[in-house]
Amino acid sequence: MTKYRALSMCLLLLVFMVTGCSSGSSSNSKVKTLTLWYWNRSLDDNLINEVQKQFPGIRINAQKIGGDFKSKLKTTLAAGGGGPDIVAFNDWVTELFPSADRFYNLYDLGAKDIEKDYLDWKWQLGVTPKGEMIAMPIDTGPTALFYRADLFKQAGLPTDPEEVHRMMGTWEDYFAAGEKLQKALGGKVKLLDNIGQVYNQINSQSDKVYFDKNENFIGEDPSSSMKKAWDLAVKASQMNLLANAGTFSTEWNAAMNNGKIASFVGAVWSKQILMDAAPDTTGKWRVARAPGGDGNNGGSFLAIMKTSKYPKESFEVMKWLLNPDNQETSFKTLNLFPSATKALDSDAMKNKEEFFGGQATGEIFTESARNVKPSYFGTKYSNLNGIVNRELSSVALEGKNPDKAWKDALARVKKELLR
Amino acid sequence: MSQPLQQRTQFDPGSSLQVPERKRGLATEIWKHRKQYLAISPFYILFAVFGLFPILFSMYLSFQKWDGIGVMTFNGVNNYQFMVTDPEFWKAVGNTLLIWIYSTIPMLFFALIIAFLLNASFVRFRTFFRIGYFLPNVTSLVAVAIVFSTVFSNNYGLLNYILSQFGADPVEWLNKTWGIQLAVSIMVIWRWVGYNAIIYLAGLQSIPTVLYEAAKIDGATGIQSFFRITIPNLRPIILFTVITSTIGGMQIFTEPQVLVGNDGGVSGGGLTIVLYLYREAFVNNYFGYGSAVGWGMFILIALISLINWRVVQGGGAKDE
Repeated sequence: MTKYRALSMCLLLLVFMVTGCSSGSSSNSKVKTLTLWYWNRSLDDNLINEVQKQFPGIRINAQKIGGDFKSKLKTTLAAGGGGPDIVAFNDWVTELFPSADRFYNLYDLGAKDIEKDYLDWKWQLGVTPKGEMIAMPIDTGPTALFYRADLFKQAGLPTDPEEVHRMMGTWEDYFAAGEKLQKALGGKVKLLDNIGQVYNQINSQSDKVYFDKNENFIGEDPSSSMKKAWDLAVKASQMNLLANAGTFSTEWNAAMNNGKIASFVGAVWSKQILMDAAPDTTGKWRVARAPGGDGNNGGSFLAIMKTSKYPKESFEVMKWLLNPDNQETSFKTLNLFPSATKALDSDAMKNKEEFFGGQATGEIFTESARNVKPSYFGTKYSNLNGIVNRELSSVALEGKNPDKAWKDALARVKKELLR
Repeated sequence: MSQPLQQRTQFDPGSSLQVPERKRGLATEIWKHRKQYLAISPFYILFAVFGLFPILFSMYLSFQKWDGIGVMTFNGVNNYQFMVTDPEFWKAVGNTLLIWIYSTIPMLFFALIIAFLLNASFVRFRTFFRIGYFLPNVTSLVAVAIVFSTVFSNNYGLLNYILSQFGADPVEWLNKTWGIQLAVSIMVIWRWVGYNAIIYLAGLQSIPTVLYEAAKIDGATGIQSFFRITIPNLRPIILFTVITSTIGGMQIFTEPQVLVGNDGGVSGGGLTIVLYLYREAFVNNYFGYGSAVGWGMFILIALISLINWRVVQGGGAKDE
C-alpha cells in the first residue's frame, strides 16, 4: 500500500510540474487584487506602491515582466485566461487592434471624460479604426535634432537652437549644411548616424505612411511619405553623410563619444542613451526642432484585459497613475515624457541640463510633442518597415542600386500584404 | 541483410498461429509489469507533452494562418507555397549552407589534427590541453556572441585595432555579408572544435595499436599509416561528427541573432533558416508560417544528412 502511495505521489508531483503548478491565490473577499504587467522603467515603482494608499481595498500585484514582453503577452492571450488585469503596451499597440475584443473598450469605462487632458495624436494611437479605445497613453517620444554645437561652430554653422532650426528647417537644407560641415572638418566627422534612421524619422513626421484607416496600402500614393523618405534617405547616403553606425549599437555609442557623428534626429528618450554613451562630450550637445517637422518615436500605453474581474477598479487605478500630476512625477524620476498636456506645461520642463550646455531641452521637446501629426500605423506597420529598412541598408552598405532596391522592396511589400 | 531474415524465419515457423495469443499476452504482460511501466512513464509523459505534442501541433499549425492571438483559419498549402517562392527563405537557406561549409570543414579538420596531437606520445600535459580545448563548449553562447561582436566591431573592434597596428585600413566586418558569415563561422569553430576533437580522440584510442605496429614492420611511413589506418578506422566517428555538425549547423540561431540582430544584419548576410523562422513567427507574428518553415527545415536537414551519409559511408565501401 505504501508503495502505491509513494508512486502516486510521484505521479502527482509530475502532473504539477507539467501543469506549471498554478497557485490559486485565495483572495480576501474585501480586498481586490489587481495584477499589473509592465516592464522596467515603463512606470514609476513608487507611484505603483502609492496606489494602495490612494485606493483602500485595492491591492496591486505589480509584476515586472523581463525579456520579450510582447511575446509573453501574446502567449498569455493565446492561452486564453490567467493573464493580468492591467497590462502595458509599447508602440506595437496597433498589432493588437485585430484582437481589440480581448481588451476592455476604455470609452465604455469613462475615458471620454479625460480625453481632452491628453495629446490628441497620442490618444488616437490607442483607438482602433472602429472607434474602440483599447489603450491609454503613458508617455510619448517626441523627436528633435541632437547636434554638437562645438562641431557646428568649427564648421561655421549656427549653434543657437533657433538659428539652427531656421537654417535647417527642411531635410534638404540640413543635408546641405552637413556637406559644408563635413568639408570644413576634413571628412573625419559624419553628419548622421545611419540610413534607416533618416527614413524612419521622415516617416514619423508624416501623417500617412503605409496604411489608411481601412488598412489599404497607400505607400505608392503621392500623399504618403514612404517614397519621399526613401529618396531623402538614399540622397543622404549618396552625399556620403552617413556614419553607417546602427542606432544605439556599441558602434554608435563609440562614434558619439569620439565625436565621429555631429548630429542625429532622435526621440526624447535617446537623451538618456546619449548621456550614457558619450560622457566625454558633456556640455557639447544641443537640441533643436528637427528638420522636416516634429515626429514621435515610441511611447507606451496601459490596457485592461477582458479576463479582468475588476475593469472599473482597474480603470480608476490607471486614470490615477496617468493623471497629469503623476506624469510630472514620472518625468522627474524616470524621464518619462508626458502625454498629458498639463504636465507639458510644468516647470520640470524648464530645467537646465549640464549635458546640453545649460539648455532646457524640455522646452524643445514640449513644442515638438504638441505638433506631432496624428497618424494611423496599421497592423502590419513593423513588417513593412522591416522590409524597407533591409533594402535601404543594402543601398547604404553594399552599394545596391537604389532603383532596384526600391522595386525589390515594393515587390516584397506587396507579397507581404497578401499573406 | 539476408542473414538476419533467415534467422528470424527459423525461430518463428508457425507465426500465423501464434499472433492472436501473443497479442493477448502483450496486454497481460504490460499489466503484469505495470509498476515497471509506471517507473519509466515520467520520460514518456514529459516527452509526449514537450516533444510529441509540439511536433504534431506544429504540423497542424503549418496549414493554418494564425497571428498568435486571434482565431486560426485554415490556409491550405499557402504557407508552403509562400515559403518556396520567398526569395528571403532561399537566401536564408543559402546563408545557412555557406556558414555550415565555412565552419564545418575547417572545424572537423582542426579537430582531427588536435585529436591526433593529443593522442601523440610526445605531447605533455595532455589532460590540461583536453580540458582547455573542451572549455569553449561550456561557455554561454550569448556571452560568446557579445565578445565576438566587440572583436569584429566595424570601427572600434579588436581585429581592426590589430589591422591598424600593421598600417592596414579597418574593415567594416559586420557591414558586409561575407564579414558576418566569417564572424559567425569562426564563432562556431571556436566553440565546437574541442568537442569534436575529444570525440575523435576517443575514436583514435579505440584503434588497436597492433595495426600501427604491423604497418611499421611492413615499412609504412607515419603519413601512410594515418591515411591507411587512422582515417578508415575513424570513418564511423567522422560520420557521427559530420551528421551532428550538420544538424547543429542547420540550426544556427543565437550567434547571428546576438551578433547582427533579428534581420540578420546587412543585406541579411547572417539570416539563417532558424533566424528567419524566428523573425517570421515571433517578430512578424506568422505562427502558421513559422511552423511551415520548421518543417521545411526538417526536410532539408534530412536530405543533407542523407547526402552526408552517402558521401562518408559510400566512399568507405569503395576503399575496403
